[in-house]
Amino acid sequence: MQRYFSRWGWLLASPYLLFTLVFFVVPLGWGVWLSTLSWDLISPSREFLGLQNFAEALRSPRVHAAMLTPFRFMAIFIPVTVAAALVIALVINSVKRFQGALAIAFFLPYLASGVAAALVVRGVLDYFGPFSSFVRTVFRADPDWLGNPTLAVVTISLMMAWKFSGYDALIFLAGLQSIPHELYEAANLDGATPWVNFWQITFPMLYPSLYTVLILSVGAMFSVFTEPFILTNGGPQLATHTWTLEIYYQLFSSLRAGYASSVALLNAVQVFVAVFLVRRLMEWWGGRYGWQ
Amino acid sequence: MRRCLLLGALALSLASAQEVRFWSAPNPSQTQFWEEMAQAYREVNPDVTITVTPIPESPTSEAAILASLAGGTGPTISENIFIGFGAQLYNASAVVPLNTLPGWEELLAARNMATAIETWAFPDGNFYILPIYTNAMLFGWRIDALQELGVETPPRTYSEILEVCATLREQNPNRFLLARADLLSNVWWQRWFDFFILYDAASNGAPFIVGNEIVADDEAAVAVFDFYRRLNEAGCLLTREVTTPFEVGNSIWSQLGPWTFANWRENFPELQLGENFVLTDPPVPDEMPAGEPVYTFADAKGLVIYQNAPEEAREAAWEFVRWVFSDPANDLAWFETTNLPPTRDDLGSNETFAAFLEENPALVQYAEAIPYAVPPIVNQNFADIQTALSEQGLAPAVRGDKTPEQAWEDAKAAMQALLGE
Repeated sequence: MQRYFSRWGWLLASPYLLFTLVFFVVPLGWGVWLSTLSWDLISPSREFLGLQNFAEALRSPRVHAAMLTPFRFMAIFIPVTVAAALVIALVINSVKRFQGALAIAFFLPYLASGVAAALVVRGVLDYFGPFSSFVRTVFRADPDWLGNPTLAVVTISLMMAWKFSGYDALIFLAGLQSIPHELYEAANLDGATPWVNFWQITFPMLYPSLYTVLILSVGAMFSVFTEPFILTNGGPQLATHTWTLEIYYQLFSSLRAGYASSVALLNAVQVFVAVFLVRRLMEWWGGRYGWQ
Repeated sequence: MRRCLLLGALALSLASAQEVRFWSAPNPSQTQFWEEMAQAYREVNPDVTITVTPIPESPTSEAAILASLAGGTGPTISENIFIGFGAQLYNASAVVPLNTLPGWEELLAARNMATAIETWAFPDGNFYILPIYTNAMLFGWRIDALQELGVETPPRTYSEILEVCATLREQNPNRFLLARADLLSNVWWQRWFDFFILYDAASNGAPFIVGNEIVADDEAAVAVFDFYRRLNEAGCLLTREVTTPFEVGNSIWSQLGPWTFANWRENFPELQLGENFVLTDPPVPDEMPAGEPVYTFADAKGLVIYQNAPEEAREAAWEFVRWVFSDPANDLAWFETTNLPPTRDDLGSNETFAAFLEENPALVQYAEAIPYAVPPIVNQNFADIQTALSEQGLAPAVRGDKTPEQAWEDAKAAMQALLGE
C-alpha cells in the first residue's frame, strides 16, 4: 500500500520535478561548466580556464560595485516599500467599498513596463521640466538626480519602491484580512487605543506577511536591471551598477559568456547568503517576541 | 493520377523554393525599404522568398543577434552591423567573407565603392561586411541664437567656441552651449558622438588602434579632453537629463546625424537649414588651418551573411544583395526612404542622386563629408575599450577630477591593458 502511494506521489510530483530538472538543474549545470570556459557561445573554439573567471571576477571593481549596489538600494527601498505597502494595505482594508478596485489600482505600477516607467522618470527629471524648475525656483537647489552617485541610488530606489509598494500591499492586505476580529473586540473591551491595537495585534499578526515581503524585497534588489540600464547604465561611477547589468555587459557587449556565467554564479551565491541571513534574522526577531 | 502529379509538382516547387531570413534594422524606414526590395525581388525570382523581420531590440540589436546565433535560430543575413560588432562576429567565425563569393568585384564596380570599402577590411584581408550607409557626423549651430549674440559665422576652433559661449552665458544664463548628459556616462557607444567625432577632426583622421596597440595621436586626444573640460568649467555644458534641447533652443550647438531630419520634419517642422540652423564640420584645435578638409566620425553600418545559415540560403542571400546594390536606383530608393547616405564613392557626383540632394540640401553636406568620415575602431574589445575611455578618461577630465593629460594617460593605460601589453 505504502509503495502504491509512493508511486502515485512520484507520478503527481513528476511535472514539477521535470520542470525543475529542465529549467533549473540542467541550466545550472551548464552554467557551472560555462563558467570554466573562455567562450562567446558562438565560436567553434573554446578554452578551458578552470577557476580563472572566478578569480578575475573577484578582483574586478565592477563586480565589487555589483556586490554593494543591492545593499545601497535595500537601505532605501525596504523601509520605504514596507511603510508604503503597510499604509496602502491599511487604507484598502479600512474602506467598505471598492476594495478590489483600489487594490488593483495600487497593483498597476507593478505591471507597468520598466522601460516605460524609466522613460517617464527621465522626462520628469528633465532639467528644463516643471519638476526641476520648481525645485530650482522654490528650494534654490539644483540636485543632479541621475548624475550624483547618492541621488542616483535614491532615485532608482524610490522608483522601485513605487513599483513594488502595491504588490507588497496585496500581501499585507491578505495578512490583515486573516486577523480574527475577536482579537480587536477583546482589546477594545480592555480599552486599547487604535495605536495599541496596531502595535500589539496588527503588527505581530502581520509578521508572516512581513517575512514574505522582506524575503521578496531582498531577492528583488539583487535582480534590478531595467531601471539602471535605462537611467544610469550603472553610473555615475558605478554607484548603480548591478549584477544583472554586469552579466548583460559581459555577455552581450564583451561577448564573454564564460566570464558572465561566473559572475552570475557569484551573484547566486550572494543572493543565497543574503536571503539565508535575512531569514535567520527574521526568525530570531519573530522568536524573540513570540510572533512565529 | 493527375491529382497525384499536381501534388508532386507542388511538393517539388515547395522543396526548391528557397527562404532567406533577413533581419533589418529596427527602424521602420529601413524595414520598409527591405520589404519593398524583397517584394520586388520575389517578382523576378519567384523561387526565392526573402522574409524581412526587424531585429528584435531585446534590449539591443547586437544582443538579439548573438542570442539567436547561440540558440541556433539566427537569420541568414542581417543589416545594422557596425565594424566593431563585425569584428566580434569575425572572431567567432560567424560570418561569411563576402569577397570570396562570386561577383564581389563586379558589385564593388557597379556600386562605385572601391574607395569606401577600403576601411572595412578585416585583419585577414577579407571583407565580412558590405557597408550600406555612412553617416558622417556633423554639428548643428542655431544661427538664430548666434545672430542674437552678434555672431555672424559659426565658430570653427575651440577658442572661438569658448568665446561664443562666454557671450551666451553672459547674456542668457539659462541657455547652454551644449547639452549632453552622456558626456559623463560610461555608455561605450556614446563616445562615438563626443570623443571620436572631435578626435578624428583634431588628428586628421589618425588611427586610434592598430592591431593590439593604442596608436592614437596623444596631442589630439588631450586637446579633446581639455576642450570639454574648459567648456564645463565655463558653464557651457549641461550634463543633465534634458529632452530635445537643441530643437527647442535651450542649447545652441549639437552633433547631428542625417537621421535627425526625418524626425524634425515630423516634430519640429520650423527648423529649416539656413533659416534657424546650419551644419558645420566638427570644431578643431586653434592651430589647425582653415580651408582644409575636416575629418569626422562615421556612424556607418552594413550587412553580413551568417555562416550557420544553410548553404543554399547563403547563396540566395548573396544573389539578393548583388541584385539590390548593383542598381543605383535602389540606392536612391534607400536614400529617399531612410535619408541615410549610401556608402558610395560617387554619391555627390552621380546624376541618379542629384535631384534628391537638390531637394534635401542638408544631406548634401553629409554626402560631401563621407570621404573624410572615419568608421569606428576595428577591435572585438570595442565595448571594453570605449568604456575604459569613458571611465578613466573623458568623464574624470570633464568633471575636473583629473587633468586632461593625466586622464588620457590613465585611459590609454587601461585601454592598452585590455588589448594586452
